[in-house]
Formats: sequence, C-alpha cells, structure tokens
Amino acid sequence: MQHVLEGSEELREALVALRREVGTLRVEVTHANVLLEALEAMLDVDGDVDPFVGVFKALLPVFECSYAIVLIENIKDPCKLECVASTHAAAVASLWENGRKLGKVLSGRIVTTISTADDEAWPQIDGLSKSQPTLYLPLSVRGQRGLMMLLRDEDHPGFDRTHVTLARKFSLLASHAFAAKRASQTEAESHRLQHLTQQLKVSQEALKLRANHDQLTGLPNRAYIQELVEAILARKQPGQKMALAFLDLDDFKRVNDFYGHTVGDALLKSVADRLGTEIRQMDIIGRISGDEFVIVFDLIEQQSEISVLVNRVSDKLRQPFSIEGQEIRASGSIGVALWPEHGHDYDTLRRHADTAMYRAKTAHKGSFTFFSSALGNEMSERLSLEHRLRIALTEREFQCALQQKVDLRTQDIVGFEALVRWVDRHGTIHSPATFLQLATELDLLDGITDIVLDNLSQRLPLLDAQFGTAATYSINISASQATKTLFMQKLIRRIADTGCAERFLLEVTEESFLAAGAFQTQVLPLIREAGVGVSIDDFGIGYSSLAILADITADELKVDRSLITSIHQRPRSQSILGAIESLGASLGMSVIAEGVETLDEKNYLLNSSRIKTGQGYLFHRPQLISEIIEQQTCIVQKFKS
Amino acid sequence: MVALKSFVISNSSTAEALSELSIAIDAVEIDPNLICVFYDGDHEDALIFDYVRTRFPDAALLGGTSCSGVMSEAGLGGAGSIGLLLIEDADGDYGTAAVRLGPDACGCAEQALHAALAAADCSGELPELIWIYQAPGREEAVIEGLRRVVGDRCPIIGGSSADNTVAGGWRQIGPEGPMDDGLVVAVLFSSGGISFAFQGGYEPSGASGLVTSIGYDPAGESGVVTKVSGRQVLTIDGEPAAEVYNRWIGGVLSEKIENGGCILEDTTTYPLGIDAGQIEGVTQYLLIHPEQIGKNQSLSTFASIEEGTRLYSMRGDRTRLIQRAGKVASAAADALPGGSKNLAGGLVVYCAGCMLAVGEQMPEVSRTVSASFNNMPFLGCFTFGEQGSVLEKNAHGNLMISAVAFGH
Repeated sequence: MQHVLEGSEELREALVALRREVGTLRVEVTHANVLLEALEAMLDVDGDVDPFVGVFKALLPVFECSYAIVLIENIKDPCKLECVASTHAAAVASLWENGRKLGKVLSGRIVTTISTADDEAWPQIDGLSKSQPTLYLPLSVRGQRGLMMLLRDEDHPGFDRTHVTLARKFSLLASHAFAAKRASQTEAESHRLQHLTQQLKVSQEALKLRANHDQLTGLPNRAYIQELVEAILARKQPGQKMALAFLDLDDFKRVNDFYGHTVGDALLKSVADRLGTEIRQMDIIGRISGDEFVIVFDLIEQQSEISVLVNRVSDKLRQPFSIEGQEIRASGSIGVALWPEHGHDYDTLRRHADTAMYRAKTAHKGSFTFFSSALGNEMSERLSLEHRLRIALTEREFQCALQQKVDLRTQDIVGFEALVRWVDRHGTIHSPATFLQLATELDLLDGITDIVLDNLSQRLPLLDAQFGTAATYSINISASQATKTLFMQKLIRRIADTGCAERFLLEVTEESFLAAGAFQTQVLPLIREAGVGVSIDDFGIGYSSLAILADITADELKVDRSLITSIHQRPRSQSILGAIESLGASLGMSVIAEGVETLDEKNYLLNSSRIKTGQGYLFHRPQLISEIIEQQTCIVQKFKS
Repeated sequence: MVALKSFVISNSSTAEALSELSIAIDAVEIDPNLICVFYDGDHEDALIFDYVRTRFPDAALLGGTSCSGVMSEAGLGGAGSIGLLLIEDADGDYGTAAVRLGPDACGCAEQALHAALAAADCSGELPELIWIYQAPGREEAVIEGLRRVVGDRCPIIGGSSADNTVAGGWRQIGPEGPMDDGLVVAVLFSSGGISFAFQGGYEPSGASGLVTSIGYDPAGESGVVTKVSGRQVLTIDGEPAAEVYNRWIGGVLSEKIENGGCILEDTTTYPLGIDAGQIEGVTQYLLIHPEQIGKNQSLSTFASIEEGTRLYSMRGDRTRLIQRAGKVASAAADALPGGSKNLAGGLVVYCAGCMLAVGEQMPEVSRTVSASFNNMPFLGCFTFGEQGSVLEKNAHGNLMISAVAFGH
C-alpha cells in the first residue's frame, strides 16, 4: 500500500540525505564492479593478446553505449591519432585529426558532448557519425598518450556527470594498470597488482553490502530486491513459477506513537528476523520502506504451496513480540502476485501484490489475498473513477439536489436537506453512493461541499420566492470535515454570507462529537456564534452513549432510516423511537424521522409518536435545484394561464 | 589547484568602494579565471564593470545587483556593499556570456549558453555546472532554453538580480558590460570538483487548493493553447485567489484584499508551494512567493504556475530561515568529492524575501554559512528568484537558498 506521508522538515531532510547517500553508494558499487572487471581483463591477458576485448565488454553495458574506440598518438605524425582498438571493426587503423577537443582529452580531461554535431573533423567511417553522443577519456597505452571514445546511438540521450565521474576513475586506474603491466612483468609487480585487485574486491563487497541493504534490518533494500527479482525472472524457464508477497504491518504507526520510535525500530528488526526463520532457503525477503516488506517465493509448483507458506509467516507474526520488556502484538496484511500470471516484471508484480494487500487489509487486517484480474479491474476502475472525480471537481460537475422535509400532519414543506449529485459532462447523474467514499478517501469532499453550498446559496432567492423564507436547509458534514477547523470556519463564513444563517442546519453524525473533542471545543462555538443550527444525523445507529449525549448541544435529532423502516411492525424499533423522543424532549432537541417510504410508516409516526417532521421518498424524491425551480415555474405558469 | 578569495567593501560611493577594493585585491596574489561581482543596486554599474574589466581583462565575469548588498565569510556587507569572488583554477575552464532577453527568452538562453561554452573554449562540451544571473520575469523560459541543450544532465544554479525596493532597478553584469534586461550565463569546468545544494526553509501548513484560472499567458510559443500558465493566479478552487490565500494565512492580508497592492513583505513567512516530487511518499516542495494582490483579487507571484496545479500553503519562521542557510552550505560542502575537507570556498544565493523575513538577524545568516563553509571564502547575494536542481530536475523557485561549493 502506498502510504502518503506529509512529514516535517526534518523527515524530508533525512530522506533527501538518505537518498543521496544510497544513490552515491549504489553508483560507487556500480563503478567498483565495472572497474574491477575492466582491470581484471587488462591484467589477466598475456603478451600480445588484445586487452581491450575484456575492457570493452565491461564498460559498454554500464555506459550504455554502442561503440568504443581507442586512439593513441601516431609516432610518425604527431598531428594524428591512430585507432588501435575498437568494437567497430571498420574504425581500427583509422587516423584522426588531433584537434582542440582530442588535444584536451590527451592532456588529461574527460569530455562529454552536448551538441548534435562535433565541431571537429572525424574520418569517414561507415556506421559512425559525429552526431552520436560521445564521451572521451584519456588513456595511456603502451607508454603513449591516448584516449578512449565511448559512443551512443544518435537517438540516445547524452552522457551525464555520473558517467564523467566513472570515466575519470577508470581512466586513472587503467592508465596506471597499463603502465605497471608494461614497465614490469616481474613476479613482485604482478603480486602487487593482484594484491591491489584483491583489496578493491574487498572494498567493493563492503560497499555492495551497504548500498544494497537496509541499515536497520540488514535485509535487501528496495532497489536491491528489484535487482534480485529481475535476476530471478531473467533465469526463469517456461513452466516455472514464482510468487511475490507484499507484507504491510498493521497499525505500525500506533506502535511508534505509543511506544516511541526506538521500540518501533526494534519491532521492525524482530519482524525481519522472524520472517527470516519462516521462509525457505531459496526465498528472499526485503524491506522496501517503513513497515513494508517483500517476500519472494521462488520455485513454486502450485498456488496452494504459497498459501501454506504465507499462512506460516502470518501465524508467526501474530505471536507476541517482547521488545524492551513490553509485549507487543503485531500482524501483517499480505497480498500475493504470481509470475507469470499476474505480471512479467518486478514493477507489475509488486504493484499487483500491493493491490492485493490493500484488499486484504480492507477486508480483515492480518489476512492475505491473491491478486486476481478482477481485483486488477477493480483497481483500474478505482483509478479511472479517481481521475474522473478530480476532473469533475475542477470542472464543477457536482450539483446540489434537495429533498423536502414535511410536516407529517399538513404535508407542508418545512425545509430541505441538501444532497450532492454528480452530473457528468454526458449528462449522466451519479448518486453519492458511487463516488462519496472515494471522494472522502481522496480528500475531495471539502471541494464538493463547497460547490453544493455555492449552488444552494446562488439559488436561495428563487427558492425563497417559491417556498417562503421560513424553510430551513440542511447541509451534510462528514465527521472528518467537522473537526477541520479551517474548513469549518470557511463554511460557516459562507453560510453567514447568505444573510440567513439561522435557516441553515449542519447535519453531522455522532462520530463528529466523539472525535477528540475538536468539534465540540473549536468548531461548535463558531457554529453557535453564527446562529447556524446543528442536527445529529443517522441518530440511533452510531456510538451514542448517554455520557456523550449529555455534552452535545444540538438542535435536532434525525432518527436513522433503519429505525423507521417498517416501524409499524417492529415493537423494538418503536420502543427505541420512544426513548429517542423522550431524550430529545428532555434535551430540548426536535426529532425528525428520515427514510419514511410507506403510508403505514407515516401513519404510525402520526398516530403513535410525537414526531412532527418527516423526510423520505413517500413525500419527495431528491431533485436537482434547477429541476425544482423549473417545475415550480411551470406550475405557476399553468396556474396563471 | 583551485583557490578562492572574497572581497567585500561597504561604502555608498562607488568610486571610493572600488578604490578600497583595489587596495585589498592588490594585497593578495591571485590570478582569477572566473569573477563573480554582486553589489547594492544604488552603485554605479559602469564604474564597477570598468574596474573589474581593467584589473582582470582575461577572467570570465558574471554578476549584478543584489538586494541591499552582499554577505561573505567576513559577515553581512549590508547597504552600500560591493562583493567580489575571485576563483583561480588554472587547470579548469570557465566562460561567461550575456544576452539581452528578447521576446524569445528560451532561444536567448540557448544562444548565451553556447556563447559561454565558446568563451571557455569548450564548445559542444557538457559543463560541470551552469551558473546564471538574470533579470526577474522569465526565469522558466530561460531554464527551458538551457535545458534544451543540457537537459538535466548538469545542474543549473543561479539567481534573479534584485534591487533594493522592488522597483525594477535590477541590473546584470556580463563580459561586455551592464544590462537591465539581460541574462548572464557562466559555464564551469573545475579541476577541483564542484557540488551544490538547493533547498527551501518552509513547511506545509495544511491548506491547499487547485489553481482554477490564470491570467492569460500561453505556455507555448504559438499554436493552440492546451495548458495555461503564468504569474497571475486569478482563482483557486473557483474563488478569487487572494481571498483564498488570505484565508489560508489567517487574514494577514485582509486590509489589502479590497484595493490590492504589494504583499511581498507580508508573505515572506507564508509562501505557496508546489509539489516537486516525492521521496518515499514524502512531498518535496518548490516555493513560490506571492508578490502582489491585483484587481479582481488576483495574486501575482515570482514564478509561473500552470492551471490545475495544486498550491500548498507553506509556513516558515526566522530561526528556520537562518539555520537553513547553514544547512544548505553544509550539504553543498559535504557533497564535494573528498567531502568538506576539500572545500576551497563557495557561492551562495539567498532569497531577498527570506532576508526581509529574517530582518535584523541577517548577520546570523552570514555567520552560519561561514561556519558551515569552515570559514573558507564565500560570497552571497540576495535575489528575487532562485534557480537550482530539485530531485535531479532543473527548476525556478522563490524563497529558496542555494550554495555552490568549490573543491581544491
């Protein structure tokens, strides 16, 4: 699961530093590898064997170039350089003008080109062009000054500063190696060179370990695990299988928040150790970020084997950890993607395993799920909906719909609840059920609420002309919105700007009152001061406790539809409704019934309760404001004619 | 071997300041290949240019006005100061070129870069670092022009020249003299290694919104406008931009909302940020400094913004802005080949907006940079825009701090 953290300055700084350090280490490891291979190639060949064959083989892949050319000063003509080795056979023995650029390289400078054409003359050689991005590095060969040119294909980007740095290292070491090899082939010299090579190998191993492993757990890091998986996949034969499991620790943030980061880090280390004991020898574990691990199960025959292995890992994680004298219980949600069914490369497998993990975590923390095409489709649809929702918000495609609240006795309209509808550019109207949850997850709800309120405020004069200035309007506010002081300030100011704040009610759920007091202490006073009313929505299904209700200062209790449905036939609901009525009366709050859909329900409320106001399909189905106004205008015109 | 020397003189008379500088410079032995000269906008450019050109006829030259003077390892130069940084590197190559920014700023930048490379005798070569100093206004186009040639393969660092009162009195100095609408490009091929750092000292404060309209300014040179960008934000989330921004920052600008006006000083601790990419899920921000409230409650900024961009409300404080300067200098020095022990000196760009926010504590900034640079020579200028590389991409931002470190 991709966690989006918004951290402090220090966190950002630490990450940049870490990234820079890891980047540097990885570059150094790559450089050390290449240098080793190239030097070994040079030192291992005897006598007249061309040492450049091995050198080119080592250098070409890492510089991502297509050709290499070695030029040395021509003894007969100092104005010329002669090609003594090349991966491009046609270039060998060609003569090159010793111009400004080549002269600079001969005197020790690394040069890489930026323009599309070199400004110096090149000999005519089939298959070579001055437009190819080129890296030049000095190289002393057989006691003579020389240089190496590395060329990329024309349509490839030019070399960057990292390549220049590597070229500088190689140039220096290679020139020394050539000089040493030529100057002395004594046993002592040979021994010294071998010793140096050995030392370089040891350093390279140490660097490799640091660059490729997570410092805390010692497990392969994100970049290295990718390399390992790619290497495994490259060796795979048809018919062989592999599985990649993505493990995300559940509620790890709570551990950090509750026990502190030292314990959190120790837990991660213990988790890594424990995972290590549960996998098979050929499997690999890596830590790819904070509390996310990847397990690669290689050489799998069938899917059921994975289930056994993953369950083993899950069970082991559930056993309590003892960290610094504390017993900590942990669990991990796991998603699994199979090769080749669910993806052919690391990125795809990791992404799909992540998707499956997300599903597992949503369904039941600590469980595991296999990726499936259905899950993939679901995720694609979610991404598509996310994209469309973001555009819809920018394009202001959301509209306010109203549902009447009526006097149960007279059927007079006493007010409206403002609801949201998404009218896309094709005119299709989407109900909130199709997008509200995702909009909430994406933090788009504030923008949508703003649009609904704008819509309503703009049409208020027309609505007043039709329904009178006594009608009230309710706006729904989610629990997360209710505790955002800045958002609520802005909303309340907008409502106040309508000039009739006292006709507005904010419908909040009981959850808002539970959220750490922010709503009660910071937001509610603002609402009160502006004269806006508060209605507790979906009352009766939340976390209501008398202790909390005692603190609530609301104007209205809105009884949840689940209690109203078939109330005439459900004695238990009737008793609860009776209790809510009493509660409302004693706390001075009016009570309204929502979800009234049948005559029987209405009649029960009329005859057997003290509830005066109702809302539901029986009275009115929500309509876009524009439709309501249009409809009313038609009625008036008909009446007049 | 690379050697740096910095000289700062504070004197409101240009002639007297140059006379004092001349004495100080003549007392040391240095044969610079590159000279950076920054000075308070009240000084006479022609005199400064003539002195430098005559004294060092062969050195590459770059510089211009810096808001309220300069700083160096000797401290804050303050009003009336002139600063010179002399970089001697016989084995390196340095070249500068200047161009007046015509209608095609992109093309001008490209042309100036090629000219600077030719001046360094390095035509067609990728420099180690490009350093630019320019008139504020078209920094994005300048960066784009330079990127056409080098992409993000080498860092582009620099600043936008500044006057003392944001009255448009900024100037630039290149190898051929002073200009007021120009761009000076320096290409650096050092023999001792160069490193850099580019950071801001602000944190997101929570609020954010989408830019829903921009004052018309087509992003391309011609053709159908598919994306609008510019420096005048008309609306955020469909509401007048200044109103939204004012709400985000707690009503600091309420008095200016109706009639508009300059808000540069009011907003130095509350800039806007745009997402410059993420590292491990943590957003990195490029800062944008709101400069003016216009008619219709629009918001003018010192950097271009595209429609549809999410703007984040950012927050900073004095202490952080002081410390950040030192951290940036340390980061640059540490990144040198061989680490900070190899440091020969540096060049620092500190946003003039940050300087306004730090106020009388500015001497602390020069002290902290000096400490981070191990008291090695450096010169710092104060600018109206900063250019640098964020997550390996060259970009223009505001309220940023950059440092270039030179290795021995």
